[in-house]
Amino acid sequence: MRTYIIRRLLQIVPTILMITLVVFVMMRSIPGDPVVALLGDAYNEEDAIKVRAEYGLDKPVLVQYGIWLGKLVQGDWGTSILSGRPVLKDVMIRLPVTLELIVLSMAVALAIAIPAAIIGALRQNTWADYSATSIAMIGVSIPEFFAGVLLLLIFSVGLRGTLPSSGWVYLPGTCPMIVCTGSLWGNMMHVLMPAVALGIGRAALLTRLLRASMLEVIRTEYVTTARAKGLSERPVVLKHALKNALIPTITVMGLQVGFLIGGAIVVETLFAMPGLGTFGIDAIIARDYQQVQGFALITAVAFVVINLLVDLTYTFLDPRIRYA
Amino acid sequence: MRSIRPVLGLLLGTIVLLGGTAARPADAQAPKRGGTLRVAYGNEILGMDFYTTPGYEMVWVATNVGCGLVSITPDGKFFPDAAESWQISSDGLLYTFKLRKNVLFHDGSKVDAAAVKFTFDYVLDPANRANMRQFLGAVHSVEVVDPHTVQIRLKQPYAFMMHVLAVYRMGMIIISPVVTQKYTPEERRAGKPEALVGCGPFKLVEWVKGNHLVMDRFDKYFEQGVPYLDRVVIRTIKDPVTQLAAFKAGEIDFIADFSADHVDSLRAQNPRAQIMTGKETTPMVAMMKVTVPADGKPMSKDRAPHAIFNDIRVRKAVGCYGIDRKEIVKIAYKGQATPWVGIIPPGTMDTVDVNHLCPYDPARAKALLAAAGYGPQKPLVFELMTNTEKSVFNVIATVIKEQMARIGVTANIRLVDKPSWMTTATQDGAFDMYIEDLASLLTVDQNSYLSASAAAWNHSRHVDTKVDDYYARYAREMDPVKRKAIARELQEYSADKLYWNTISGSPFYQVAQPWLKDYVYQAEFKVQYKKVWLDK
Repeated sequence: MRTYIIRRLLQIVPTILMITLVVFVMMRSIPGDPVVALLGDAYNEEDAIKVRAEYGLDKPVLVQYGIWLGKLVQGDWGTSILSGRPVLKDVMIRLPVTLELIVLSMAVALAIAIPAAIIGALRQNTWADYSATSIAMIGVSIPEFFAGVLLLLIFSVGLRGTLPSSGWVYLPGTCPMIVCTGSLWGNMMHVLMPAVALGIGRAALLTRLLRASMLEVIRTEYVTTARAKGLSERPVVLKHALKNALIPTITVMGLQVGFLIGGAIVVETLFAMPGLGTFGIDAIIARDYQQVQGFALITAVAFVVINLLVDLTYTFLDPRIRYA
Repeated sequence: MRSIRPVLGLLLGTIVLLGGTAARPADAQAPKRGGTLRVAYGNEILGMDFYTTPGYEMVWVATNVGCGLVSITPDGKFFPDAAESWQISSDGLLYTFKLRKNVLFHDGSKVDAAAVKFTFDYVLDPANRANMRQFLGAVHSVEVVDPHTVQIRLKQPYAFMMHVLAVYRMGMIIISPVVTQKYTPEERRAGKPEALVGCGPFKLVEWVKGNHLVMDRFDKYFEQGVPYLDRVVIRTIKDPVTQLAAFKAGEIDFIADFSADHVDSLRAQNPRAQIMTGKETTPMVAMMKVTVPADGKPMSKDRAPHAIFNDIRVRKAVGCYGIDRKEIVKIAYKGQATPWVGIIPPGTMDTVDVNHLCPYDPARAKALLAAAGYGPQKPLVFELMTNTEKSVFNVIATVIKEQMARIGVTANIRLVDKPSWMTTATQDGAFDMYIEDLASLLTVDQNSYLSASAAAWNHSRHVDTKVDDYYARYAREMDPVKRKAIARELQEYSADKLYWNTISGSPFYQVAQPWLKDYVYQAEFKVQYKKVWLDK
């Protein structure tokens, strides 16, 4: 197992290098120039040439990438061209917000998907199954921004401030700023709507997937054996059937992290949350190359690490799986 | 030397048309001290270095953290800020400012004449790339007379020197020599509070990009009793629907820039909200490229005619007679803007209505196109670039496309994002026509930085130096009546040549809760919280 983990961790390095290189080259290939944004209405060619030289933007792209990588190895993620702020510091401030959002949206998704899938599978072709399937279809069809706006209109406008429309309250003891108050209640109030908006689509997808797996598993011989042994339905479903049915679902959950980060951009923008999603989109719009690299790096690392954890989870769910 | 008051009369004989519709209670109440003002911006603050960071969002912070020599009222009258009085010599070349003796920077050090001189020297040094430098071309030198007296000597008379000091961009905000030399530009841009020591009513406590900006009352502010607020917290809420929800739920007190598209919804949902606007000071333009680099190198001084719009007949057919500005305003702004032809927006000082020079006349447009060689056999096709920053740009582009079809012209819309537009337009890239609302203009003089032939932001890249002469004459002329006449000539000339094709004014809105008191609307030019208080 240890060898496997080390091997997988080593495989992460070329993956990250490839992702950051592709992003690096792509960002510099698309139209738009951070120097124009930086100089604004005082733009003139003379200053623009000087600024490009200052930030090394006049060098060939691969040389720029090499410089960025060299600094990264030393723990320097660079400095935002526009704001002058250290990229790593901003990433670390925003990462917990997005992590919490993603974890809770996945929790929302599972909280809806597991019971809906079980009901759908156990009561196949009944009104309960049709209802769960129909709701899942609707959930898949609703984009995050639409779900978010609906929630906003219902809970912030319609029910006049039942839930806060925007912003963020940190968990107690986690606030990275000078001015802020951490509050568990405040945090829950702020994260609820974004987590539901982001999780609802995932819930629908996981419901359909888990239902299909459950239908397959409950017809297997070991489930029949468990029943024949006289086990009650609850342990049969939860311990024997669900645990095995979860394996493909867990795989998809890992892959869904990428979509969740994409969805977080939309949801965080809508709810004005100070997370990595807004950080990334602002950086791309401003062509702030250093920030975009920071965003690409952290999301790539998160994606591959989470998928590694997913692979390791298989051994817990199915003891037959062994890594060497 | 003579007193400032008669000079002011001359300089500001014409009233700056900033007068908004800010709601102020008739029964003036005694201001209450304390409280936190919660502000929403529609765009992110890009950085915090007062003199290099672009964007209004930073300016709206800088004018609360910093102080200048003078400031300006919405009707264009100058009033003292750190300077208690000033005199302008009869030849208009020497400005003498007497400073108040009780003005302190936020670190407790004194604001004196040396600090003022340092500020000017800093801005004028090209190495610092200060964006205010472009406005100080007339300054010859700045001298310290005594610790509380400073003199600015000009190379030639400049009618808008006081505007530069008070309001161009953000005005000349006095910076601390000690602090400026101690910290790097990156530290200032990053919003390090110790590096951004001003002499304004609020001191910067914290800026965390994407999260919030916090300013606290400066208790040693030179003006006794103000500011009333304890704290100002600024957050960015980009989505207007979220702004609406946050406003309705009472989560924010003030929206510094509210989307014109959503004003009706906000009004319907919040009948007691204070919705503030004024005559438009920002032009919405359909800019046509007039010349291109002859050698293919962007920004080259060697210019060649643009294949389509260098021909004045085509420019006038398309931009003048082919565009129905009233229809655009009706569709894009629900009628809440002013159809406008002139180079200077309807709310700017010395603006002139020249709409009669470009009446909507499709038949005349077709005739001009035919004279230029276009018709059914050789239809005119051009690219119309628009960007994703505001949805209204795309609505206008769509309407123009439809209007062009009526005169047999095909406008192919190209949608790009804001940085792509900015790079293309500013760096002499390839485009035929673009839609955008450009900078807010308080004076005609300000537009010279966008439309004189040598200006970097002369996006049409016209090479007509007669335009430059108009601007130069206008800026030098100290008699407001004569100046107004020059402004009229410039606007008529511009409408005739159509180097700059205005569609309408671009409305600007600010929104406040009913409990926010004594905020003075000054469009994009100033957003100040010094005298604001909360009645709740």
